[in-house]
Amino acid sequence: MTLIGIGALLLAVMLALLAAGVWIAVSLAITGGIGMALFTSLPLDVTAKNLFTSFWGANASWELAALPLFIWMGEILFRTRLSEQMFTGLAPWLNRIPGRLMHTTILGCGIFGSVSGSSAATCATISKVALPELLKRGYDERVALGSLATAGTLGILIPPSITMVVYAVAAEASIIRIFLAGFFPGFLLMFLFSGYIAWWAWRHPDRTPPPDPPTTFAQKIKASGELIPCGLLILFIVVALVKGWATATECAAYGVLGSLALAWWGKSLTWKNFIDSLMGATRVSCMIMFILAGAKFLSMTMGYTGIPRALAEWVDSLHLAPYTLIAVLALIYIVLGTALDGISMIVLTATVVLPMIQKAGFDLIWFGIFIVMLVEIAEVTPPVGFNLFVLQNMTGRDSNEIALASLPFFAMLVVAIAIITVFPDLVTWLPDYVMGVEK
Amino acid sequence: MRAALDRIYDAAGYLAAFFVFAIFAVMIGGTALRELGLRSGGSDDIVAWFCAAAAFLAMAHTFRRGDFVRVMLGLERLGPVARRRMELLCLLVMVAFTGFLAVAAIRFVYESYALNDMANGLIAIPLWIPQSSFVVGALLLLVAVVDELATVLRGGTPAYIVAVEERHARGDFSEDL
Repeated sequence: MTLIGIGALLLAVMLALLAAGVWIAVSLAITGGIGMALFTSLPLDVTAKNLFTSFWGANASWELAALPLFIWMGEILFRTRLSEQMFTGLAPWLNRIPGRLMHTTILGCGIFGSVSGSSAATCATISKVALPELLKRGYDERVALGSLATAGTLGILIPPSITMVVYAVAAEASIIRIFLAGFFPGFLLMFLFSGYIAWWAWRHPDRTPPPDPPTTFAQKIKASGELIPCGLLILFIVVALVKGWATATECAAYGVLGSLALAWWGKSLTWKNFIDSLMGATRVSCMIMFILAGAKFLSMTMGYTGIPRALAEWVDSLHLAPYTLIAVLALIYIVLGTALDGISMIVLTATVVLPMIQKAGFDLIWFGIFIVMLVEIAEVTPPVGFNLFVLQNMTGRDSNEIALASLPFFAMLVVAIAIITVFPDLVTWLPDYVMGVEK
Repeated sequence: MRAALDRIYDAAGYLAAFFVFAIFAVMIGGTALRELGLRSGGSDDIVAWFCAAAAFLAMAHTFRRGDFVRVMLGLERLGPVARRRMELLCLLVMVAFTGFLAVAAIRFVYESYALNDMANGLIAIPLWIPQSSFVVGALLLLVAVVDELATVLRGGTPAYIVAVEERHARGDFSEDL
């Protein structure tokens, strides 16, 4: 059997397990076990030892400790009044721009994204307040739903980001570097989303309600005053990352401290909220680490069989133009993203795709941002897209309807991916400037 | 029996949460010590072990709460009888895997104890001490999986389905990414 044939067989086994509904982490580990049993001559005891080592090694990781802390931080802020403060603080400034308060969705998600590392949490937090307020004033429901679903995904592109931590661990890349790489693509995406809203409002002036009564500058400042604590927290995280004061894990720990202080200041730090947020964070990180452990065992098998290297050489021998390779990968990830969540998608493909990408001469940090943006697309593509589920639950609208409403914003994401592919410096400039060019 | 098992899963979950909190405390403490000019060496190892303990001890609790992700598309399309059969099949696969994992954990942590493996970082303690969280976590997960298998065999709905449905009905998506 050729290596590619073995690879295809293992892929078939894995897809069968996944489709049957076997838990993703276990599907990965079992595929790894089958690969080890059939295609290497290792005794069972060594397979067991490998399983043990990969599970222990995956979980007992200092790098990974940032994960539960970043998740906890988001869980704390999710339980504060931050989303209301965000809306009242942002609204007065947006009255005169085409699209008016509709832009609160984009700005709100962008700001919350810089304290939260999760897409569904960002979407839920901002939608909770912005959606009823916008609908009450008579803004177009379709555009509001589409922009909230898609802008919520800024949570994983603008650092901190759970998805980026997972990618960095899978790719053995620097977490801070990839965090820094996310800033400009995040701004680019916010600009594109807001641009679409302004363009839409300009084309449909009859469907934008009249502005709120004008406010004076002093009133505006007063309304935004509540955003100051959150602004300080963001500023702290950004400065700590850029100045290199703290490692990613330390940054996460101080983020938690800041969020706790913010919650205490806003009187939402009850004992119940504290325990709920901590337990939620524990469960979510346990789930992610379980997948990472299963994937580590699978990649160990892959290492034994040499499939990723063979595949990388095969793709290399096709002499694809780099843009063709990227386009094909983007297509594959969009298809995978319809059925898988982002974390599983990254972990599942890392072992096979990363050698291919490196061989083709792409930067791993750049590829991380590329993949995170494809995960953002996955969050809004049916049948499985968590942001769609969040909004379906909040509005009672069917998730396919929300997916349709997200289509123009989905297109903006594709445009952003095309832009960073043509201008990769947009991604790599900031990390290279702050941390020096990687050798 | 039911109440006792539930209490054990949850207790391990709370213990795991305590380790998450401990990671936070050690990180903050470590940077504070560094600022004061004292050495905080070894805190990296402690954080890594706490991270492992948090992950392993929470497994049973997380599994029962339905937070372990799986692809539900196929299952949701099946009729009730076929769905129950598939659910049984998935749980049998899960029992086989977690059983193997638990045996591997016991086998190699015991080996590490018998050979007196030491951690080779700044904190030289026997490695079996931090690794014991793996044994406890894997055994609890095995028990939880067998527990669910028994529930489905008796014709019940598994706890991981009930929990997710209840959570989503409340509009709580904070645990989905």
